[in-house]
Amino acid sequence: MRTPWAILLGGVAGFVGQLIFAQSNQLTLPAMVEAGSAFSIETAGSGQGTLYVAGLGQVIRKDVELGKTAWFPAGSLYDAGRYVVILEASGNSESGILDVAPQTKPASLSFLARPSRLPIALHNGITGAVYVFDAYKNLVTAPTPVSFALSSPSGAAQTRTVTAKDGAAWTAMDSTAKQGADKFVAEDDDIASTRVIGQVPGDPCGLKMTAKPDGDKVALATDPVRDCSGNAVPDGTIVTFTETYGDTQSTVDVPLKRDIAAVEMPAHNGATITVASGVILGNQIRWEK
Amino acid sequence: MQKTELLERSQRPLPLSLLLMAAVAVHLPLLLMKLPLKSYDTNFHIFFASHYLHHWWDPWNPKWYAGFSQTTYPPLPQQWVAVVSHVLGLEMAYMAVQLAAILLLVVGVYRFATLWVSPRAASYAALASVFLGSESFLVYSAGQLGTTAAAPLYLNALPFLFSWVRRGSGRSFIKAVALFTAAAAAHHATLLFGSFFFALPVLALAYLDRDEDGERVAPPAFFARTLAIIAIVGAAIAVVLLPFWIALIHYPVTQTPIPHPSRANYILSPQWGMNYFVVPYGALILALPFVFWRGSTEKHLRPLLLGFWVAFLLGLGGTTPVGPVLLGRAFNVLTMERFSYWATLLALPIVGVLAVELVARFRMRAAVSLTILAAFTCALAVGWTTYHPADAEDFDVSPVAAWLNRDGHDQYRYVTLGFGNKISRLAMMTDAGSVDGEWNSGRMLPELTRYGGGALTSSKYFGTAGLEALRAMLMHADHYGLKWVFVRDEYYDPLLTFAGWRPVDHLNDGTITIWSKDGVPPAQPLNAPQIPPHWQDVIWGVCPFGSSIVAILVLLIPEKRRQAAEARYPAVRDGELGLGRMVS
Amino acid sequence: MSDGSENGGAMLAVVLIAATIAFVVIGTMWPTKAALAYTGGQGLTSSSSTPEAAVQNLGDEIRASAWQKAYDGLANKAQFTEQEFEHDLKGYYPSLRTYATLDRFEVFPLHASDSDAEVRLKLYWSSVVGISEGTRDLHVVRAGDRWQVEWPIVKKPVVPPQVIPVNYLRWDVIYRGAGDDWGAQDVEAPHVRIVDMRPVERAEGVVILGELLNEDVVPAYVSVNATLIGKNQQPIATEGSFDKISHLLLPKQVTPFLINFPNATLADVGSVRMTPFSTLVPASADPVIEIDNEKLNPAPDASLTGQVINQSGQVVNVAHVLGTFYDSTGHLVWVADEYLDRALLPQTPESFNIHIPEDLARQISSERTIVSTYSSGGSV
Repeated sequence: MRTPWAILLGGVAGFVGQLIFAQSNQLTLPAMVEAGSAFSIETAGSGQGTLYVAGLGQVIRKDVELGKTAWFPAGSLYDAGRYVVILEASGNSESGILDVAPQTKPASLSFLARPSRLPIALHNGITGAVYVFDAYKNLVTAPTPVSFALSSPSGAAQTRTVTAKDGAAWTAMDSTAKQGADKFVAEDDDIASTRVIGQVPGDPCGLKMTAKPDGDKVALATDPVRDCSGNAVPDGTIVTFTETYGDTQSTVDVPLKRDIAAVEMPAHNGATITVASGVILGNQIRWEK
Repeated sequence: MQKTELLERSQRPLPLSLLLMAAVAVHLPLLLMKLPLKSYDTNFHIFFASHYLHHWWDPWNPKWYAGFSQTTYPPLPQQWVAVVSHVLGLEMAYMAVQLAAILLLVVGVYRFATLWVSPRAASYAALASVFLGSESFLVYSAGQLGTTAAAPLYLNALPFLFSWVRRGSGRSFIKAVALFTAAAAAHHATLLFGSFFFALPVLALAYLDRDEDGERVAPPAFFARTLAIIAIVGAAIAVVLLPFWIALIHYPVTQTPIPHPSRANYILSPQWGMNYFVVPYGALILALPFVFWRGSTEKHLRPLLLGFWVAFLLGLGGTTPVGPVLLGRAFNVLTMERFSYWATLLALPIVGVLAVELVARFRMRAAVSLTILAAFTCALAVGWTTYHPADAEDFDVSPVAAWLNRDGHDQYRYVTLGFGNKISRLAMMTDAGSVDGEWNSGRMLPELTRYGGGALTSSKYFGTAGLEALRAMLMHADHYGLKWVFVRDEYYDPLLTFAGWRPVDHLNDGTITIWSKDGVPPAQPLNAPQIPPHWQDVIWGVCPFGSSIVAILVLLIPEKRRQAAEARYPAVRDGELGLGRMVS
Repeated sequence: MSDGSENGGAMLAVVLIAATIAFVVIGTMWPTKAALAYTGGQGLTSSSSTPEAAVQNLGDEIRASAWQKAYDGLANKAQFTEQEFEHDLKGYYPSLRTYATLDRFEVFPLHASDSDAEVRLKLYWSSVVGISEGTRDLHVVRAGDRWQVEWPIVKKPVVPPQVIPVNYLRWDVIYRGAGDDWGAQDVEAPHVRIVDMRPVERAEGVVILGELLNEDVVPAYVSVNATLIGKNQQPIATEGSFDKISHLLLPKQVTPFLINFPNATLADVGSVRMTPFSTLVPASADPVIEIDNEKLNPAPDASLTGQVINQSGQVVNVAHVLGTFYDSTGHLVWVADEYLDRALLPQTPESFNIHIPEDLARQISSERTIVSTYSSGGSV
């Protein structure tokens, strides 16, 4: 029955029913039903009739005996929202409104954590948004506390508790001073969802190289490259060595390997050698044999 | 009738039914094998027909060049393919229309030749047309449906033209107008150049014969009739192809000329000499001295010879300076093989005379030799597609089409590299649009018209011009929603890599790589001024096809008067050549 | 038919045949431009009666890829094989030059005597990424009544047998699966930043120059679009950096970019909207390219010259050298590039020469050069 045609039919039937029958006096409807729970509808009169329950996502048709209670087992209506109930008997119809509310107990969370990767020590750099759903994928609209926890491998953790409003809760957190894969956990009741936030080193800090002769070349190597918090800058990061000699220049872009960038360049007496990574400049060496 | 009965058996023309059966016997198997699908342009015509099949009333085709108007190309054969495809499917419909054109050519050559030579020689000329190298070359190697469909219509119109200007036959006038108009609807260049190579010699013949067969026509009447038919045919063509002329006037073909090997010097470039001279002419080369000799010594054949000679020289492309001098800029726009085709058609009547005389003199030996030469000529032209294929390698484009048609890939435009003339077939199979295409005169995108390259898919073969066009198009990929490049030639990989494209998928066992560019917005329809207004859509849907229907209907009107040939040469018996009844 | 008519007809036949032959001879002796395009520029006669004509013929033969004919005409062909001659021109390893065709060439006489001459042959190769130039100074010697070229062969560079350890990083990307729930996490696009940008007015239009930094810790595939906004806040045009950028940026790597707006004028521009794109891609830190002996050469013929050395063990088929030029205050002045049409063999230097517009050369006081590469069978 969960086909587009059924939805359309139900919607149209409900709308028409509402237009024709302003108020029901043969139908007794519960004021509110929780999604997925059993419920009943009382009818008055005698004889046979047909009961239609139509909402945006579901339509149910049930043959009933007028004057008796029509029982709907658990799981009959599972999409939260407003339904139109129409009773048709002997060519006459009557209708009423039935509201189906989401369950109050959360069953799953959709957790959007951004970004998946960011530099260390960034204030409010991490955002997390949670959408709380019940067992039937209805948004749980009742206020419910959601806790967020960001924990780094070293054990330090930031926590926040936010009350979800209309099924949504969000927070912002700072990235820590240590690089690594942080766990970002959102929890509501006993339901939890985890995301991993990569905290990566910042720009190199105090970039420094040393030089030593190697035949007719000069062997250049940086000290282990760290950011200002002491994290090792990832391997593969480009370090640029530039040697200026008279009006000529030599350049090599070298990726870091095991925290160090190393290269051999022509050894010119009196040459000036500089090192840089991105927009960060390192030290300068004047090469004298 | 008494004269006819006195004809020797050896002087009788070959029956038309035999000629048509020969054409069917030679060409039907080849067409059933779909041999033209290997040619350069067949898929192009089928692509156009495919558009008419689905959008008869809308000649704006968004699948090439981000949109182009099919009113830039006369539509008649393609529309017939579209109509017949309802029964046979597109490919077999193409073959059926092509076969009809071949059969019409047999009839047309006979009727045209009877203006110049005896019915027997004309029938030999018609038989030769079945084996004509240039015809097979255009059908099976070049795939020029328009040219091969228009020429027979034109040839069939010429006897009516003669009859009108020579005798003032009103019925001939109507038939000539109908056939000329249908020929123009099939191919515009045939009409334009056919007027010089075919119509002028026929008019000259009518003028030279003005005092013969006791029905003298005064020069003023001759000229008045000539002007009248020119005016009426001109008006009819103007109306039938009105959207074509409007497109041509508003958007003339001013793009940088694209090199074509038919403009080469066939002596300095012998490989192209083979392709554009030896193959189309075949054994006809042996007959050329006779064509010159007999065409010169027979006074009434001289107009025909002059028409042949000029077409022959133009067909030699860049081998002589005649083409560039006579055609000017058009030399760099037209392809020259069609001139060789027309030259061979013009030579056929005299070749028919040669055949008759050889058979009369050497009997069976001549018949056997001529048969062998004709078969060799036809076989060479048909087999040429194997030795000099349009596509170096055959491959299946259906996986490419399937990829484009899924997951919303067709929201973007694409271009292929290294696909040769498979792009027409691909365009038929996919819903996605391309910025490339095979109809150079229809393209308007400045990136394509500025540099003098042909299809982007073959950019490297056009040297700097082709590669500049490709670079310009890739540079403006965002503007055209060009997100996909299908590469079947690693030659292009460095350009794509350095220009910011990335390989994202592989097809056909890794022989085709799909490259993509990030950040390209979905393709939007171009709001081009070239989009024809609705009234032109209606004209295009009604008039060209309607002109062929009108031509068929008026041909059913019986002729009252004799044909010119019957005056010069003894008439044939009814039943021996029921041509008049068939085509009149 | 009268005899007179027959004689006249015979005369007509002779005239037509003679005219046909004459036309063919004329068309062959003096071919049209369209016809020459298919002969590599060569007519039927190719005289080598002067040193320039001999070099001209050689150029025509190279353009027509008539290697055997070109080789046979050389004076010093005994010193090398035809294959070595072809490889000298087209490259020993697959490169841009291998698949290039000679678009045109120019011949400049330098010096001549009765027995020998020096002639410069400037070759313009049409490759997939554009035209590349090459110059050869040729020694031409007289041999009887004709001249022959001595080809200055450059033989295949010998790479010594060696083992080059390669253990550079490689990044791979695992994207989220198609069946993952809504809200499931995906990998973040690399963070890139335009660190410099400057519009410049040139004769051909407006040019946007700039530099883009990958400030992330993962490789980024980048490109930059720019939109010129008019003073009425309406967009004038949008163009991209196309190949005037290094599209693959390793962490902390900086690339220059240049975006052309032909026929635009700066006076019409109110603002410029820059749109950088970045995508996470699998990449390798290999190969490492060293740039040696970079030198700014002043006008006239201002240029940046130097050599690139492939420090890895794999052959690099195409290298693209991008130069960024600054004035004395460190401001960006110009961006220029050159494709190397020879393959980069391991540890074998290849020269580059990037042309600098003369009017800008005077402002330039420093430069920075980067190289992006293409290796057959893999991308950059």
